[in-house]
Amino acid sequence: MFGYIRPFRDELKMRDFDRFRSAYCGLCHTMGRRCGPLSRLLLNYDFTFLAILLSAACEIPCRGTCRRCVVHPLQRRGCSEPSQALDLAADESMILAWWKLRDNVQDKAFFKGLPDRFGAALLRRAYRRAARNRPEFDAMTQQCLDDLRVLEQARSPSLDRTADASARLLAAAARSVPDENRMRVLEQLLYHVGRWIYLADAFHDRKKDAESGAYNPLLCCFPEGPDLGPEARERLELTMTHSLNLAGSAFSLLPEGPWSPVLENILFLGMPAAQTAVLADAWNPGRRRGVRE
Amino acid sequence: MNDPYSVLGVSSNASDDEIKRVYRDLARKYHPDNFQNNPLADLAEEKMKEINEAYEAITRMRSGGSSSYSGTRSGGSSYSGGASGSSYGAGSSYAGGNMALYAQIRNAINSGHLDLAEHLLQQAPQNAEWHFLAGSIAYRRGWMDEALQQYNRACQMDPSNMEYRRALDYMQRAGVVYRSAGFPSMRSFGGLTATECCASLLCANCLCHGGC
Repeated sequence: MFGYIRPFRDELKMRDFDRFRSAYCGLCHTMGRRCGPLSRLLLNYDFTFLAILLSAACEIPCRGTCRRCVVHPLQRRGCSEPSQALDLAADESMILAWWKLRDNVQDKAFFKGLPDRFGAALLRRAYRRAARNRPEFDAMTQQCLDDLRVLEQARSPSLDRTADASARLLAAAARSVPDENRMRVLEQLLYHVGRWIYLADAFHDRKKDAESGAYNPLLCCFPEGPDLGPEARERLELTMTHSLNLAGSAFSLLPEGPWSPVLENILFLGMPAAQTAVLADAWNPGRRRGVRE
Repeated sequence: MNDPYSVLGVSSNASDDEIKRVYRDLARKYHPDNFQNNPLADLAEEKMKEINEAYEAITRMRSGGSSSYSGTRSGGSSYSGGASGSSYGAGSSYAGGNMALYAQIRNAINSGHLDLAEHLLQQAPQNAEWHFLAGSIAYRRGWMDEALQQYNRACQMDPSNMEYRRALDYMQRAGVVYRSAGFPSMRSFGGLTATECCASLLCANCLCHGGC
């Protein structure tokens, strides 16, 4: 589910590249501090995007310090200063990752789910800490995942309704932003990003799901099978592009600040590039096309 | 926010042409067409107003007028923030006795009360207007695929209705509005008329001044 949101590296200025990396390191340190060292293993670009978005909405400046860490013991790296936005992003990332893990455990058979089960056992304490800090977000996440499960069990053919559950889940991450107007903007932005991720992931997983018989909204919506016809692909592409456009127009309502260029890069270049790759069946999540941390 | 230059994000010694270009880009970005039936339309409208006022203040200052910025009225050369068009209901006269109900549903959609709109819609007959309104509700929720299907059905049932056509067209372009240099004004979804739009602008104005 994770990994579709990353900067388009070729078009990223060095300055913004450094900012992205410092946010990545800042989030990593914050997660370690707030949820324990193991939680740092969950870090990814999507959560970094969330951290940057929250920093931008809270108008956190791009100030940083230099720090060493376990992964880079020899070289000190630029790292965003601790801030409210990073704390929020760290807690929310932990909660999202935990429920994703739990979801995997429930979906899989006992032996296949063993690694996830093991991971979940290790991260239980980290999750509890985060959930104690953000009880509303935790409750909202559970609610959305329950809604999604009901739709999955009913094998809903609606792309919108299943994507909606997952989109609301991400949109809830904006709830703690203090300024009401910015909260609204962020909520709308994250809704469409969440919707887009869900649809991209559904397309990416469709063949695997067709084989295993797992639920996939695309297979229920387009009964012609996993090799979706051109019309189905067009329909999916249109609705995904529309979500990207709406996320973009929401973004234009945020105040311009130091984080704007990197966010612009992700929203207007990185995500469209990921969409093109996913729809061409050329997406390789293992290949690092974003920023090497 | 007293400096009109910082509102536009230009330096105070930028050339007239540059200011005009920046202003045009911003006006295009926040144009109501890009926020049709969008829950953030009010914020975009406010932003548009700010930009218009800043641009007017700069033009006035540069032409030797007074330099006061606050309290300017938009008009004249600036792009108007509101959508104009035919009044609601034109072209759907077949709807007959359900006009009041439809108007109610449109109001509910405009004000973001989607559950109410959906509830009211259950009482209406399933004609082209029904599908159009169902599509508008879906769109406002962010359910673009469903909105597209509903608008499609509305157009099939009543191919001559321009409002349905425009809505479908908007969906097929993924919400991107191409504009010629003249910016043809488009009617927003949900039957927001010119007068309603003015009223909402006035309300926004009151809120702004009340808050500051």
